[in-house]
Amino acid sequence: MPATDYQASFLGRISIRRNQVIAMDGNHEQELQDLELFSKHVSERFAELLSSPDDIPFDALLSISWLRKLLDFFLCCEAEFKGVLMMGNDPSQISKPPLDRLIPEFLDRSVKALDVCNAVTNGLESVRHYQKLAEIVVSALEQKPIGDGQSRRAKKALTSLMSAMNVDDKECSAAKATERSWSFSRRGVSSKDRVPEHFRSVSNQVAKNWSAAKQIQAMTNNLVPPRGAEGSGLASPVYTMSVIMVFVMWALVAAIPCQERNGLSAIHFPAPKQLNWAQSIIGLHEKIGEEWKKKEKKGTAGLLDEMQKMEKLGNILMDFTDSFQFHGDITDQKAEEAAARSAELAETCRRMEEGLLPLQIQIREVFHRIVKTRTELLNALDQVGKSSPPLL
Amino acid sequence: MDGCRSGVPTYEGDLHVVAAAHHIVKALGATKNLSDDLRKILIDLDSHLSMITSNIDSKGGRGLVDVEERLDQAERKIMRWETDPMMIWDSGPKEASDYLEAVDETGKLVDGLRGLSVHENRKQKEILHRAMNIFQTAMSRLEEELIHILVRHGQQFEPKNMYSRSIRKDIVYDESFVSVEDEPTKETSSQNCSNDESGECIVDLVHADVIPDIKSIAKVMFTSNYGPEFCEAFISVQKEALEQYFSFLGTEYLSIEDVLKMEWTCLSSKMNKWTWSMKIIVRVYLASEKQLCDQVLGGLGSVSSYCFLEISKATILCLLNFGEAVAMGPHRPEKLLRLLDMYETLADLLRDIDTLFSEEAGSFIQLQFHELLERLGESAIAAFKAFRVAISSNGSLYPFAGGGVHPLNKYVMNYIRMFPEYWNTLNLLLKNQHPGVADQVTKPDYGPDTSLLTSCPMAYHLRSITSCLESNLHKKSQLYKDEALQHIFLMNNIHYLVQKVKGSELRLFFGDEWIRKHNAMFQQHAMNYERATWSSVVSFLKDNNPGSSSMSKSTFKERCKGFSIAFEEVYKTQTSWSIPDPQLREDLRISTSLKVVLAYRTFLGRNLAYTDDKCVKHTVEHVENSLLDLFGGSSRSLRNSRRW
Repeated sequence: MPATDYQASFLGRISIRRNQVIAMDGNHEQELQDLELFSKHVSERFAELLSSPDDIPFDALLSISWLRKLLDFFLCCEAEFKGVLMMGNDPSQISKPPLDRLIPEFLDRSVKALDVCNAVTNGLESVRHYQKLAEIVVSALEQKPIGDGQSRRAKKALTSLMSAMNVDDKECSAAKATERSWSFSRRGVSSKDRVPEHFRSVSNQVAKNWSAAKQIQAMTNNLVPPRGAEGSGLASPVYTMSVIMVFVMWALVAAIPCQERNGLSAIHFPAPKQLNWAQSIIGLHEKIGEEWKKKEKKGTAGLLDEMQKMEKLGNILMDFTDSFQFHGDITDQKAEEAAARSAELAETCRRMEEGLLPLQIQIREVFHRIVKTRTELLNALDQVGKSSPPLL
Repeated sequence: MDGCRSGVPTYEGDLHVVAAAHHIVKALGATKNLSDDLRKILIDLDSHLSMITSNIDSKGGRGLVDVEERLDQAERKIMRWETDPMMIWDSGPKEASDYLEAVDETGKLVDGLRGLSVHENRKQKEILHRAMNIFQTAMSRLEEELIHILVRHGQQFEPKNMYSRSIRKDIVYDESFVSVEDEPTKETSSQNCSNDESGECIVDLVHADVIPDIKSIAKVMFTSNYGPEFCEAFISVQKEALEQYFSFLGTEYLSIEDVLKMEWTCLSSKMNKWTWSMKIIVRVYLASEKQLCDQVLGGLGSVSSYCFLEISKATILCLLNFGEAVAMGPHRPEKLLRLLDMYETLADLLRDIDTLFSEEAGSFIQLQFHELLERLGESAIAAFKAFRVAISSNGSLYPFAGGGVHPLNKYVMNYIRMFPEYWNTLNLLLKNQHPGVADQVTKPDYGPDTSLLTSCPMAYHLRSITSCLESNLHKKSQLYKDEALQHIFLMNNIHYLVQKVKGSELRLFFGDEWIRKHNAMFQQHAMNYERATWSSVVSFLKDNNPGSSSMSKSTFKERCKGFSIAFEEVYKTQTSWSIPDPQLREDLRISTSLKVVLAYRTFLGRNLAYTDDKCVKHTVEHVENSLLDLFGGSSRSLRNSRRW
């Protein structure tokens, strides 16, 4: 299914280009068509993301492959947006009201999005670490016959994994501020497999006191749907693209461990339901927001589907290793159950192994794309501004 | 551990065969350059042979008992440390090697027992589980020991010893272009670069003495299938050490938004710091880290490069992000040199980066570096263009008082004086700018003086910058109402331009012809000044009828008065004018003197009859001395010297 969709969106992009060539001839009708086509594609893409079936693990909401699709759609929308904004129109438009105000605001949002991209990239380093710990669990439980030693090995890795995933955002920042120590407190503690404290929590931060939630909140500043006559002009794609950008960043932050996310669920999207393209985004926002609220209290590393699976399987396997240690041995039925869970965990790890690096690369691509568009818009503004006397 | 040792030779024939096989396996295992797979097979074989030995024994009725004994012994050695507050590797080499021996023994027993699990019996299974339990304790312990060794023997190095902080063009213009009205104070620094910048500098991030210890832990953990645990522990400690070193260098984490909002002086010092930290991090720290990884994990295939990547990725990305933020920022002219610094640093490090991240997994990092380099290059070009635009659009409403060297001129010339330092980079970046320019550049209109330097892209751009500057100065000169002052201003400024070119490496790029042409230019302005100021003054002293011997007294008196008034007027205005260059001032005074004093002396000499004190207000000496006061920069008056 995804293959044909990509194809469709690709064709969509081509058709947009063809339309722009005509639009350059000054055909206003064509411009309106472009705008319509743009919002049509947006709504199609997000409808597809919304309809992702939860029961197919590969494409589940907020799974790695879902996020990759989201980013892919972001890049498509972005390309079309740029086309609508810059190719088909009189360039001087962007320096006239209301765009003279909306474009700088949009650029400001873009810069904020870049920092979110970096925060998420940092977060993926942590996810990678979880994956490695989970792989240890899998490899420990794979051994036959399973004995106390293997179960302890698995438990140790599980303990590290679960505590790493349960570090809440505040701790992430706090751990950075105070110097972490590698103490195992050898004296007195007679636990057999000590887990080092602060075992590699969220790594490099974006900046001191930086908060992903506040950043995204700030991105929604001034974000209001165009009214009246503005609604039919270029103000509307700027608004649409802004909403998409905010949503994509918000979803990434909800999914992946990130610096400071308190208040993430309180972020409100000023997207009116009557706008066709906005419906799916609103739907996704509500769905993910619900999930986030559920997890927020407990403190979660993120809603990434693979991580949630890991958490669930981790808890089951933890019980298993506990009971193993308690009884010294286990029934065949339990062993089979554990083997099945362990196989599921192995599958999750495999998906992470396949998807995490491409996801990281894709986030970087989004980063570079945002930078590029920003530069192009600034240059265009500069060109238009050349007619007025320079400041220096 | 030699498996043969333990058995009583009941079935001597078998034992001999097994022992011989065992020896061969051990000898093979000692060979270097074995592939991982092969090594693993040999290790498996080794433990199998050990087990066969015990098995042969067991036929003699002693097998499992013997295995159990061996396990008991190993267990004692391993478990005794669980209650000991000391770390094993801190306690001494003997303790460490004893421990490793016991772990090795346990590992062999585990592998052997597992290999036999086909004829499973209760007792055997029990021993296996016990062995695996002990083994897990040992592995867990080894992980702790590893972290302890890495933390305890980790060494930080002083960056001061690596690169001198103030390298070549360190003290340049940090002023922003808009502050052009200020006097530029900072002159260029010395070329002090004591350290060889290209020299590889590798330090021991972990004390060299403990490398064999870490290696021995790595070896046993990897052969026991505990490689992932080793990697995670190793990566965690080393990654954190790098992060700590990063903040030790004083490098902060900055968001892109922060960087874009930063004031120029602050940004400039951060850019400086980045250049410096980048070099140390890549060339010293990461090179050393890579060496450590290779030393410890050398024979383990891609493990070493995997660990290295995981350790360094986050910090590298953080450094790259600052670069991206800088390249994104507004292209202000004052950013140019700092951008070039960053560009050069990065270009210089590319080879190191490509080596450090040569594996496929590292290609992502490699790519990011190349992208940033491109971005910084574009940004530098944009700043270069902005520099030119800023020069030609620098407007003034009022004439610059005194006609001295304009601050814009000073700023621009002191700034471009740094360009030769960046010659190669600028040439590379400017090569593709203005394709039309290329032809002109190859055929400069500077006569025979066509050395390579005067015809390079940078030379062309330098000359075009100064011609921008010149035309702006011409525009500024138009603001003076006094034509003479226009010439003084242009003379001063062109003279300054030439001096700056002549006194620096710029002369190589501008060429002798350019210098000659501009020398002639300011001299022309000097002559024009003389004509504009003094022609009318001296005209009072001209003899209208060269035929007659003398003029009438009244004419003389009138001429005298006219000259005095004109001279005093010139004196009053032009003492406030300024020629900052002492030599130039001196030259102009002499040439003025020659013209004016000579004419005055002749005038007086020809009319000796009338030269009573009353009507000749100024003596020749007085005029001559007064001329010395001109161009001092502060207005003076001759009014109160004498009345008539």
